[in-house]
Order: sequence, then structure tokens, then C-alpha cells
Amino acid sequence: MRGSQIFANAIEDLDLYPVFGNPGTTELPALRNIKSYILTLHDSISVGMADGLAQYSGKVKMVNLHTLPGLANSMAFIYTAKMNHTPLIITAGQQDMRHMVLEPILYYNLENVISDAVKFKYELRNVDDIEIAMKRAKLIAQTPPTGPVFLSLPMNIMDMDGTYSKMDDFNFSYELINIEAVKEISEKIMRAKNPAIVFGYEIDIFNAFKEAEEFAEKLGCPVFGEPLSSRAVFNTENTIFAGDLMPGSTLINLSLLNNDLIVFIGGDITLYPYLPSPILPGKDLIFIGLNISPKMGNFYQMNPKLFLKESMKYIEKKCNYSRPKDLTFATKIANERSSLGFNYVMYQTKKFFKDYTIVDESISASYTLRNILGYKSKGYFTAKSGQLGWGLPASAGIAMQNKKVLLVIGDGSFMYTMQTLWTLKKYNIPLKIVVLRNNAYNILRSFAKSYYPEMENSPFLKFELEIERFAQSFGIQSQVAGNDLKELSWLAEGEDPKVLVIDVDKNIPKLFL
Amino acid sequence: MKALTILPDFIPQEEVKKTVAQILPDMEIINNTDIEKSDAEILVVTTFTKVDKNLIDRMPNLKFVQVASTGYDNVDLDYLRSKNIMLSNIPVANKQSVAEHVIAFTLLFLKDMLNLNEEMKVHHRWPMLTGSRDLEGKIFGIVGMGMIGIQLAKRLLPFNVGIVYYDIRRLAPEEEERYGLTYMEFNDLLKNADIISIHLPLTEKTRKMFGEKEFSLMKDGAILINTARGEIIDEKALINAMKKKNIKVGIDVYEKEPPDFNSEIFKMDDAIFSPHIAGVTIESQQRFLTETISNVLRYVQGLEPLYRVI
Ligand SMILES: Cc1ncc(C[n+]2csc(CCOP(=O)(O)OP(=O)(O)O)c2C)c(N)n1
Repeated sequence: MRGSQIFANAIEDLDLYPVFGNPGTTELPALRNIKSYILTLHDSISVGMADGLAQYSGKVKMVNLHTLPGLANSMAFIYTAKMNHTPLIITAGQQDMRHMVLEPILYYNLENVISDAVKFKYELRNVDDIEIAMKRAKLIAQTPPTGPVFLSLPMNIMDMDGTYSKMDDFNFSYELINIEAVKEISEKIMRAKNPAIVFGYEIDIFNAFKEAEEFAEKLGCPVFGEPLSSRAVFNTENTIFAGDLMPGSTLINLSLLNNDLIVFIGGDITLYPYLPSPILPGKDLIFIGLNISPKMGNFYQMNPKLFLKESMKYIEKKCNYSRPKDLTFATKIANERSSLGFNYVMYQTKKFFKDYTIVDESISASYTLRNILGYKSKGYFTAKSGQLGWGLPASAGIAMQNKKVLLVIGDGSFMYTMQTLWTLKKYNIPLKIVVLRNNAYNILRSFAKSYYPEMENSPFLKFELEIERFAQSFGIQSQVAGNDLKELSWLAEGEDPKVLVIDVDKNIPKLFL
Repeated sequence: MKALTILPDFIPQEEVKKTVAQILPDMEIINNTDIEKSDAEILVVTTFTKVDKNLIDRMPNLKFVQVASTGYDNVDLDYLRSKNIMLSNIPVANKQSVAEHVIAFTLLFLKDMLNLNEEMKVHHRWPMLTGSRDLEGKIFGIVGMGMIGIQLAKRLLPFNVGIVYYDIRRLAPEEEERYGLTYMEFNDLLKNADIISIHLPLTEKTRKMFGEKEFSLMKDGAILINTARGEIIDEKALINAMKKKNIKVGIDVYEKEPPDFNSEIFKMDDAIFSPHIAGVTIESQQRFLTETISNVLRYVQGLEPLYRVI
């Protein structure tokens, strides 16, 4: 069997279709027998789409990039997938091995380029490597901590003859639990004076929402979200949820001032910017999860869902926390109507998109978005790396499987991977997009205002973009919203991809200490 | 990095100590200046602690003084300068409070609140007719459109008043449109406004900016509110205008604080006073604390602190 056929069979047997990519000559040999391919007009977009779809579906997804240029163009996205712990198989074509020594055009040492963005990398040496390498790639991508892996595919290998035995698909089992540790931790919680629980994104990965709520309600102590979680961490409608921790040591300390024991379940501490306070000095810290890699406290590697279930045997009511209702909220909404402030925009958006999966690249509006649109199972996604340009492709990937996906994105962020609109149109992907246009990189202006005030009005932090016309030029329907935001109802209608531009408040929000 | 905070006795020390231990463990908190010596690099004080030669000489490593308030009259600026020590204040925490205070003064006058209260509480009378008036439809003049002026304008919008303002720097047209502002030269503002609120810094130009001539331009019965600096108003001219033109005045700030209570102004019927507390509310104190902590953290991070005075 020819190498390209073995490659195609392996993809099919390991349930990896469709392949996302942007091809070059070096990829054509590998793609000869491919059955399902999604074309993106920038290499990086294929990684972003695969990332979104893999996270949403819980399955390993596959990307094919054009040797050095395609791989290098995609590096930020591969790093983001690493931070997101998304199991991806990244492949790239490679020059014909028979003249590599002469360093032909498009040859480069790809394993060096991809560096530590993946946890496994291999360049095929032989046609019979394909089967083994593909199987290992899928297994390693799924082994905790999950993440992307890389295979380099020299052209000539795909033209060689080899053998292929049908592979059985397999999926990694995450049923890992340390029964003794659960008892020990639970007893510690019961002995603490005033414990707090912090849930993280693994609650969503391992579908542990029900268990998290049962655990939290039985214990009764306040529940926080890990700082800058990349996915939903808890059902935020439940009033035992006290809010997200902020990503700064000082702010975390202030939120947890009165707690002596803090148990992080499926989440970690993510920081930005640097603040000089030590992190939670004198507190007892416990971390439980499979993918996380805590830098302090005691870490117990186990499946958070299994932990929560087992721990129910030992915990009792300990506190009586309930989040106070924000009675100023209605006034805030009314006040912000004329300026199209974030609270008002998110409040109106919620009316039409409550049951949608939200992809968040709203940057300076993210805090408000999380607060108002809230978290629910598979209902919230954002890039863990801080990279812009991820939102469009990732939401497109998710929308391939889910007809109710809303991307909320800043006007600056929108511009990094705008060509995704072409892919939406081409494959009829029903993504809905809200662009928050404030004509600036406002989060940078906010940072400047807190730390370097002479820069807050720098001309290189501002721009004016006719986003609605860009969208229309790709054949995507687009409107600019008026102050009552009636167009949100137009956006929600039907299954065509659509872009709604909202000219939001241009004032610089206070986001840093 | 060592830091020292001196708090007046009325602030609950234990609460603050507990919080600070989590934020800056190297911060020492004391409640008086009776220290022999301190090797702290940062000093945090309120306006209640004198930062003078006497204290500074006992702090040989001192590089940065943060005053947790807007005012810093308690600090010997020349001595700090001579020692190359930085000073910051917090000018951003009380603007909302001052704006609300101005509105309180305004409504006390317009609604005739003090008289009505006295009629009932002191004289046990049920007045049938009152001089109570609406704010709606009045012309409100703001002199000085800085951070406080903007906060005031925002709060006036829902009252449906005409908001006119004067400042040496006119705002951009979009800003005027956003807050519903009409720009006027100072004299025109004096002639047109029913209520005038002062939000200017004290400079050589603004000292006694409200004198005989200015009062002569104002409408009879106009309300003047001063939460900025006492010296901006010529008190003699004011008392004359109150007598001749029925000008009413709400005063929070005085040339000398506390003022001379024998002054004639305290005998005037149409004057309402507060003791320089327009910006001092429970809530603004919390904002002062947060901003103070942020600025000290900025210094500890190696960044230049905001709001530098020196
Ligand atoms: C690929 C990439 N380039 C640049 C940045 C730096 N960056 C972070 S936030 C930001 C501004 C985003 O602007 P916008 O999407 O308009 O949101 P706003 O800040 O205005 O809310 C920039 C440029 C980044 N994070 N990633």
C-alpha cells in the first residue's frame, strides 16, 4: 500500500477527520488520498479551528501545515493549544529526504522550529513509521497533561510502498483517582476554619458540573473561578459562586483574605501583571487535577470529577455562603445605554444568546462578559495563552459541530485572522459574531493609564476599521448596531454566518490596580 | 523593601494590619511618630501626620512618601525636595463624593430644606406655603471642568438642567456633546447661571476670582457653591452680594481651617456650611486606601508612582 494511502487510512481509523490545513507542494504527496479537508486561507487558522473543535468535541483533531512557512506562521497557535492543553496532531510536509543534505528550498529542521510547543515530535524515516507514529501521536496527545504533538512528513515517504494493518481506534481513559488522598483532603477541609473552593477549567473538560455543584452545596463554602480560566468552571447561576479570582497576587490575596485553606479543583493560579505581593502567604493550598501544573501548595494528580464524587462521602456542611444580589445592576444597564457600555451590551446580548456557546476574545470586556453571560457546561471558551487571533478560528471550529456559537471579539483582535470569514462562507459554518468596536487597543491604554500614563493616548494604540465592509467583501452579512441593539435579534436569526459591529464605549476602562 | 505606615488612631489598625500582611509583609504599621529611627524606604501617611524635618531626619533611607489623600498640606515640600524624596498624593479617589456634595448643597437650597426642617422640628409648625423650587430647567454653571467638573456634569444630566461651563481649556466638541455641555466665557456664565459651582485649583489667577465685579454680574438670588479652595472667593465681596443681591452660598472650604467663627459669614441666613468634608466619605476613604496600595505596589515594582507631587 502506498504511503499516502496508509496515511489516509490511519487518519480514518483513528477518527481524526477532517484535516484542517493550508497546503503547499510539499504536502501534496501526503494529501493524495485524503477524504475530508477544510481549507483555511492562513496556515494558523487551521490550528485555531482544530483547537476549537477538539476542545468542544473532546476528541483529538488533526492539522496539516506547509513545511517551514506554514509551521512558522502557526507557532503562536500551537503554543496556545499547548496552554489550552488541547490534544492536536500537527503535521507538516517536509522536503524529499533524498536531497535534504543539499538544503533545497522549503527544507528546514522542523523539529527545531516547533521546539517545546509540543510534547512529542518525530520526523518519519520510513513508510512503515506512518502507522506507529500516528498511533503514538494520538496516544501521547491524550495523555495528561494533554496537548499538541508533531509529525514531520517527508514527501518521498508518502510515495513509498509499505504495509498497513487496520488499527482499532482507542481513547485514553482518564479514570485516575487516589482514594486515600481524597479522604485525607476531605478531612483537611472539614478541619479548616474557613475553607474556600476554587474551580478551574478541568471541570468542563471532564464534564463535572453536576458533581461540582453537589460538592459545593453540601459544603456551603464560597466557590471562586480560577483566574483567567480558558473554559467554564462552574454553573455561575448558582449563588454559591462568589466570582472569578483576578490574575494578580494582591487581588487574589484580598479575595481570600479570610480563608485559611484554599482547594483548587481542576484549576491553577494564572498571573498577569506582576504584582509584588507574595501569593497567599501563610495559607494552606491544595491543588487537584490532571492537566494542571501547580507551582505551590500540595498537588494531587487525579480526575477532578472522581475526586468530587468520592469526597461527598466525607464532607459535611461547613459554611452558609450565598452571593449577595447586585441591586445596582439595573441602574448600571440604564446608565450605559447611551454610551453602549459593556454591561449594557452584554446584558442585551444575553437576551438573545443565553443558550449559546460563547467564545471570548473581547479583551477589555472579558471580565464583564464572564460576569454577565456566565459559565455553563461547554458554554465558554477563550485562549489560555493571551494570544489574539484565536477567537475567530476557534469559534469557527466549534460551530462546525454546534449551531449555536457566538464569538464576542474586539475590533483589534478581529483583524488578526479575518480570513476565517472565507472558510465560514465556504463550508457554511453558522457562526455568529459580535465585534466590539472601540477604535483602539483599549486594554493596552488601560495598562498604560495604570503604569505609564504618558502613553494612554499614544496614536499607535488607536485605529479606525470598517469591519462591516470587510465582512461583506467575504460575502458575509454584516450590520452596525444602533443604541437599542435591536440588531442582536437579526444576528441570532437563521443559520448563516453573520457579523454585528457594535460601537461600544470608547472610554478607557480601569482593569489594572 | 521596607515600608512604614503611620495611621491616626481613629482608623481600625488591626483590620489594616491583617490586610497589609497579605499584600506587603514588609510594611510596618504604627499609630504615632514616636519612633526613634526607621530604615523604611517608603512612608505612607494620611493628612493627619506631619511629615517634617523632625520625622524625615529619623528616616535616613526614605525615598518615597505617599499621602493617602488629595491634600498634602501636612508635608514639608521644601525639605523633601532638598532630600530628593519623591511625594505622591491621591487626586482621583474623591471626585464622585465632591460632585454629590455639590448636589446636596444645591437641593438643600432649592428645596428650602433647612427652613422647613426648622419650622417643624424647632417651632412645631406646619408651613403651608414654601419657597421650594425645582432644579429642572435651571442653568447650572460649572467653573473649572476637570475630573470633578465632569463627575458633576454626569450627575446633573438626568435633572434636565442647562449645564454651562467655563475653563481656560475648552473640551473637545465630542466631549461637550457627550455630557451635554455649553461652553461660555466666565462673565457670560456669571450672568446666565442660577447655580454656580467652583472646581478650580488655587493659583495666582484664581485667588479672589470671585470679587465685587463678578458678584455684580450674577443673577439675584443665585446659588454659589465652593468645594474647591476658600481663597478663590473674596469673602467681603460675597457678604455684600448676599446682602444686596440675595446670593446664597454653600461653603465647604475656608481660607483658614478651622475658620474664625466670629466672621460675619456665619451670621448670614442664606449660607450653609460643611467642614471641608465634601470629598471625605466612608466610600471615598476605601477608594483612597485602594489607590494608595496600588501606588505603593507600583513603587515596589520599580515603576514610577503615579500622581507625583515632587
Ligand atoms: C498575536 C498578538 N499580538 C498582539 C497582542 C498584544 N495585545 C494584547 S491585547 C491587545 C489589544 C486588543 O484590542 P481589541 O481586540 O480591540 O480589544 P480592546 O483592548 O480594545 O478591548 C493587543 C494588541 C497579543 N496578545 N497577541
